[in-house]
Amino acid sequence: MSATVEAGVVVASAYWPESDVDTVTAVTGFVVSAFNPLVAEVAQRCMSAYDGEVVADRTAIVLASVGGDRTSADVVAEAVAAGTRVAPLLFFQSNPNAVLGHVAARWGLAGPLVCTSPSGEAMADAIACAELLFAAGEAAAALVITAEVADESGGSDRAEAVLVMARERA
Amino acid sequence: MADHPVHITAAAARTAFGRDHTRLRADGFAGVPAFAPVTRFPTEGRRTRHAATLPGAPALVDELVGVIDEVYTGPKSTVPLLLAAHADAGNRALAAEVAERTGVAGVPRVYTGACVAATSAVADAATMIATGRAERVLVAAGYLVEPSTFALFDAGRALSRDGRVRPFSAGRQGMLLGDGVAAVLLERAGKDPLARVAGWSRSGDAYHVCKPKPDGTGLARAITQAMTRAGVSTGDIDYVNANGTGTQFNDAAEVAALRLAGLDGVPVSSTKSVHGHALEASGLVELVATVLALRAGELPVNSGYLGADPHCELDLVVDAPRRTRVGHALTVNAAFGGANTALVVGAA
Repeated sequence: MSATVEAGVVVASAYWPESDVDTVTAVTGFVVSAFNPLVAEVAQRCMSAYDGEVVADRTAIVLASVGGDRTSADVVAEAVAAGTRVAPLLFFQSNPNAVLGHVAARWGLAGPLVCTSPSGEAMADAIACAELLFAAGEAAAALVITAEVADESGGSDRAEAVLVMARERA
Repeated sequence: MADHPVHITAAAARTAFGRDHTRLRADGFAGVPAFAPVTRFPTEGRRTRHAATLPGAPALVDELVGVIDEVYTGPKSTVPLLLAAHADAGNRALAAEVAERTGVAGVPRVYTGACVAATSAVADAATMIATGRAERVLVAAGYLVEPSTFALFDAGRALSRDGRVRPFSAGRQGMLLGDGVAAVLLERAGKDPLARVAGWSRSGDAYHVCKPKPDGTGLARAITQAMTRAGVSTGDIDYVNANGTGTQFNDAAEVAALRLAGLDGVPVSSTKSVHGHALEASGLVELVATVLALRAGELPVNSGYLGADPHCELDLVVDAPRRTRVGHALTVNAAFGGANTALVVGAA
């Protein structure tokens, strides 16, 4: 059964982890941090769970993360503080758009790409972003992703993805 | 969609040219670049030393509060703020402090989508007003040159080594970073508006993690959709404020997009050539520059031009600002991941 949101219908969803021994597939070119592979993993699971069709040019990707890729940021800050060279691969993964470029290319999704740090509940705000895209006519569907990696205060890596269709297309 | 008009009723940008628009309009529009050796932090061991920075070591939160207070002095308790800044674990605290100090109704999120973060915020703010979700929305964005990003762009060999940014020019070497903090107030109705956000659209390339799609089709789609929303055709666009980073791949792909959209005969310049690349804030700084150009009827120079690149055949504004009436202008931005935005700005 599809869940509904204000202006759209959730037609597929995925989570990470699904179990205590769940794993993440590495993504070529992304190093050091679990953040980007986590985003790609949950996107893969969500898109694989949907057996319908999406219109490539009309499908957006929205990524919301409160903490973002804090691992990569810390590695860069440590290198700068130590006066050592920053690894070139960290250049492109220093912003969240890069992994969305990977997801977009993998699934052929050529709609808008939106990345945010939400002030409130991440999935609710990410879906609010998707609804604005629907309201503007900029997209008819959105792959909506939230991801957080563990920080020094504890917690664990976690991610969620939903594929939302604008109501008129559902 | 109800399609209420979206007016820009106030705009402010702080760049290396200062905290008001005087020098940006005078020197920046004339093509005098603001790049200088960085003194804010050490640059030993980097391939370049240059950026365009404000004096000293300003604090991002102070600058954001400053531009927000500058564009709207009325009661802010019912006005939402959409903020754009670099992806950072401290963004929730940044948003909370800006909200507390300015008194805005709230900051639902910080847009972090690299070089289209600010224009994505503008697009959402415009949608909120056009669809009746809000009557008034503040948008602010900020980036101040700091050592981590400088080191990253240096490691990625993205920075120009000759101290200049030369968009679309033969001999261009890349980009340089620049401070940029900007805000606009968008309103459904407003007294004496500066301009209108007549059209907006976003698209993706679905191509690569950091390279733009060389054929320009993704960006061209955003441009044509924004013009369609604005109800204008190519002949109505009098100026294009280009993304124009000064890098080989990006500039060539952008020219391909402008050609596909039928805009390669329209006057074009990239003001990044004088104020540098303000990353997440770049689109808002450039929107303000576009509004200034439209209001003044004067197109800013595409600085640093050395000569024609056969892959970048455009009607570039070089040598001196060009006087012309601007009814509609287009400002485009593109980012890592193949994210593209286009905003059509109309005269009020």
